[in-house]
Amino acid sequence: MKRAPWFAGAVVAIALGTWLVGWWITPVVGAAWGWVKRADPATPLLAGLAGMVAWGLLLIISASGAPAGSVGVAVGQAMRVGPGALLALTLAYPGLLAASAAALARAAGRRGR
Amino acid sequence: MRETGQGAQGSPFDAVPSLPRALRSEVPRAISGSIAAIALAGALYVGFMPTGPVPALGPLLDPAHGVWAAARVAELPREQSLVLEGLSAPVEVRYDDRGVPHIFATTERDAMRALGWVHARDRLFQMELTVRKVAGTLAEVAGPDLLPVDRQSRERGLAQAAEAKWNALPSDSRIRDVVVAYVEGINQWVRDAGAQDLPVEYKLLGASPRVFQSQDVYYMLAEMSQTLAWQSDELERRAIEALIGEAATAALFPIEAPIQEPIQPVPGRTAPRYAAMKFPAPHVPGAGAVAAARRADDTRRRVALGPSMSHAAGALENPTRGEAVVGSNNWAVAPARSASGHALLSGDPHLSLSLPSIWYEVHIVVPGEMDVYGVTLPMTPTIPIGFNRDVAWTATNTGADVTDFYLEVVDDSTSPTTYRLDGEWKALEQRVEVFRGRGGVVLATDTLRRTHRGPLLRTSEGWLSLRWTALEAGDEANAFRNAARATNAEEWYRAMEPYKAPAQNFLVADREGAIGIRSTGRYPIRPGDGRGDRIFDGSTSKVDWLGDWPVARYPQSLRPAQGYLASNNQQPIDPMVRSDYLGWDWPTPWRAMRINEILRADAAMTPEKMRLAQTDPRSALTEHVRGAVRAAVAARGAEATSADGEALAFLDAWDGRFDSESKGAVLYNAVLQELTRRTWDELAPPGERQRLATPNTMMLVRLFDDPASVWWDDRATTGVREGRDQILFASLHAAWESARSRFGNDPRAWRWGSERMASVKHLLQLPGFGRESLQVQSGPGTLSPNDGRGTHGASWRFVVELGDPVVAWGTYPGGQSGNPVSSRYADRLELWRTGALAPLRLPRSAADLSGAQLRSALTLRPIGGGAR
Repeated sequence: MKRAPWFAGAVVAIALGTWLVGWWITPVVGAAWGWVKRADPATPLLAGLAGMVAWGLLLIISASGAPAGSVGVAVGQAMRVGPGALLALTLAYPGLLAASAAALARAAGRRGR
Repeated sequence: MRETGQGAQGSPFDAVPSLPRALRSEVPRAISGSIAAIALAGALYVGFMPTGPVPALGPLLDPAHGVWAAARVAELPREQSLVLEGLSAPVEVRYDDRGVPHIFATTERDAMRALGWVHARDRLFQMELTVRKVAGTLAEVAGPDLLPVDRQSRERGLAQAAEAKWNALPSDSRIRDVVVAYVEGINQWVRDAGAQDLPVEYKLLGASPRVFQSQDVYYMLAEMSQTLAWQSDELERRAIEALIGEAATAALFPIEAPIQEPIQPVPGRTAPRYAAMKFPAPHVPGAGAVAAARRADDTRRRVALGPSMSHAAGALENPTRGEAVVGSNNWAVAPARSASGHALLSGDPHLSLSLPSIWYEVHIVVPGEMDVYGVTLPMTPTIPIGFNRDVAWTATNTGADVTDFYLEVVDDSTSPTTYRLDGEWKALEQRVEVFRGRGGVVLATDTLRRTHRGPLLRTSEGWLSLRWTALEAGDEANAFRNAARATNAEEWYRAMEPYKAPAQNFLVADREGAIGIRSTGRYPIRPGDGRGDRIFDGSTSKVDWLGDWPVARYPQSLRPAQGYLASNNQQPIDPMVRSDYLGWDWPTPWRAMRINEILRADAAMTPEKMRLAQTDPRSALTEHVRGAVRAAVAARGAEATSADGEALAFLDAWDGRFDSESKGAVLYNAVLQELTRRTWDELAPPGERQRLATPNTMMLVRLFDDPASVWWDDRATTGVREGRDQILFASLHAAWESARSRFGNDPRAWRWGSERMASVKHLLQLPGFGRESLQVQSGPGTLSPNDGRGTHGASWRFVVELGDPVVAWGTYPGGQSGNPVSSRYADRLELWRTGALAPLRLPRSAADLSGAQLRSALTLRPIGGGAR
């Protein structure tokens, strides 16, 4: 099976959905992918990766106005977590959302079979 | 079931492994599904719900709309055209290279609607915070930690007073129109803003913007009254009297400043006047007196109104009274004393430093009606400090006593419903206030009470009612609006006659060559001796205010013969000229003495000299202290050790400048601190280090004339009574030792810049959003004073030359944007830190601003106004 188109599609769906609708579209896309490709055990991992890549792309777009690093530094200090931790959290969080949603959907789909 | 992902099938994704086979085979599907469900539920929970102080992570981290979006909206678009409802015609807004919006409109209402929109775009969260602070609703966005602040705000009743002022405006008044348009402009920006546009602070707090109301404008003005209340602290005086007795208190904390360099010039005087003083011995306090002092001090802390001279922020140990943490300056010279032959004006208001700054710079042009430039307080459509094409104006705080406290007799000490007045029981006005936290949860409910005088406060002294001019009628917004249209100094002062609070020393210069100053505000006429430095017996109406000073009685001067004017918060009128009671909490005269010295000595002032004076590094206090120390060491003769001689030589060699590289300033400051501690030890309750208050350094200087005064005695030493020279000598000795211990044995390595720095904190004190440890040219008693923590300072410096055309320079510590990652957030700090000023652009039309001077062009169109 070809995973790359699915991965690319998920990245685009998560990025566009997050931009146009909101952050919670990330687990929705993850769940959809997990359900549709429930036969593929790599789907949760790839969904998580897609979430991270999509949010990473959005961060790059946000950096068009001012360096996103400056946000990381300022907000990271304000939240007392440091800029690196804020960035890591921002990338890990969609990964967790998408991966867990995909895994849950996949498990539900396989159970229903 | 087909398993894939075992090997390369043309793309790296196809090689992604699934869970290790061994593990997979042993983990039942139900368990892996459960783990996924738990992980997802947890991720969604923290995504949607705040957890403790951490806001919901989803909207916070969302890279398109959360905190990261601050980067995307940090800069102004080069060109933009938008519809702004309610406009009658297009408004052109041109942001110059300093980020200052120049608003060109055809009507005042349109201009103010645009100003509201512009303010909201750059400073929305600051406006929200200000309004909530006055309204007492901070806990609703920032959590229950701020409940005490909310309680105090509502208890003082500033919000009610602001609403009353708004409601008192006639329905057809122009200022009402202007305010409504301004607030609609704010609300439209909020309505049109996406989540990505909102200030990052909202996201960190998990909050949303309020819908702003017209009366919020008056909340902001009330907030300024509170900031500048500088209550004449009769409660503090009561504590001091209990500790050291009335006579000593009257001497150390006098009604009249003993060194006079007044705001209203004294004809023919060319030097400060030093009044003779006597310093009665303090009482030796018994246990009862100490307890009474503590009780009064507790009450003082409980009802403190704002950054009173000695208690700003309350964190500085033993601050010296009058060493202003909020010390504003202004001065002007007439054409006869300027090199160009035009009047010059310098404005330098000092306030708490913050990011974003308290001020927002703006230029508003309505052809045929107004063309005004200056600084606004975001949340107000007026320009309290600025200039137009004919007149420039600025202010310092008068510091007048405009608050009084009355000890009321009530029917019930815990839950009173009536109070005694002239032998009768009067009903208290009562209202129940509900305090809410995040999500509308009720945190507390208080019953607040008022007498006919004002809010009733429960204190350890009993129930005190407060009367304060800021809580009563006033028309400040309208006064500022009308003054902005003045064409000369007389017109400006006429327009400002309705102005009541906070009382300000308004300095004006015009293009006709006039300079003037007037301590403007509402000053109550009190019965009896007219003084308000005590707590009054509330059971009789005989103590109530009888009226207000007429404008003619205000301290003032127009076109003075001496050709210059200056105010630095000092006592406005020399009591030798007129001794009406105006207050007693007068700051030190050192700034006034220094600027008067500069202005007297130079009959050819220039804007550049005015600018340099704003951060002048010398203090008029220095030579008083250094001279006294020199004499004390000489008096010790052979008793002085070589180290003492070395210390004195070091102090003597200092050039008196408080600049960052200064070494002598380090020793001088240590001497001053040691001297203060040893001299005023009687003002700390027995056994304690913390003084209830510290007399102004004026008192120290006057005490130098009394070498045997009992006040020189150090209570820590028994069996010996020290005199002036012993204390001065001991102070030098101890200062030398402490400086060496703190900064190293080699004094050549000392730096004043390591001792005094400015610290510009974010409004919420968020660490990444502030700028700390800024080295500034500042010292005790200099024109740009610094209290040691550096949290207060010059909030806006500007110089105007009233020629044809008017030319001006200015800056403030911060930047126009409230977005912490914008290039306009703190871009002016370096200029401010070094005392430099930027030329202010004053285009007559939108087309006048182009090329490198133009940063952004915004067109606001009315509905149906067509695309650009």
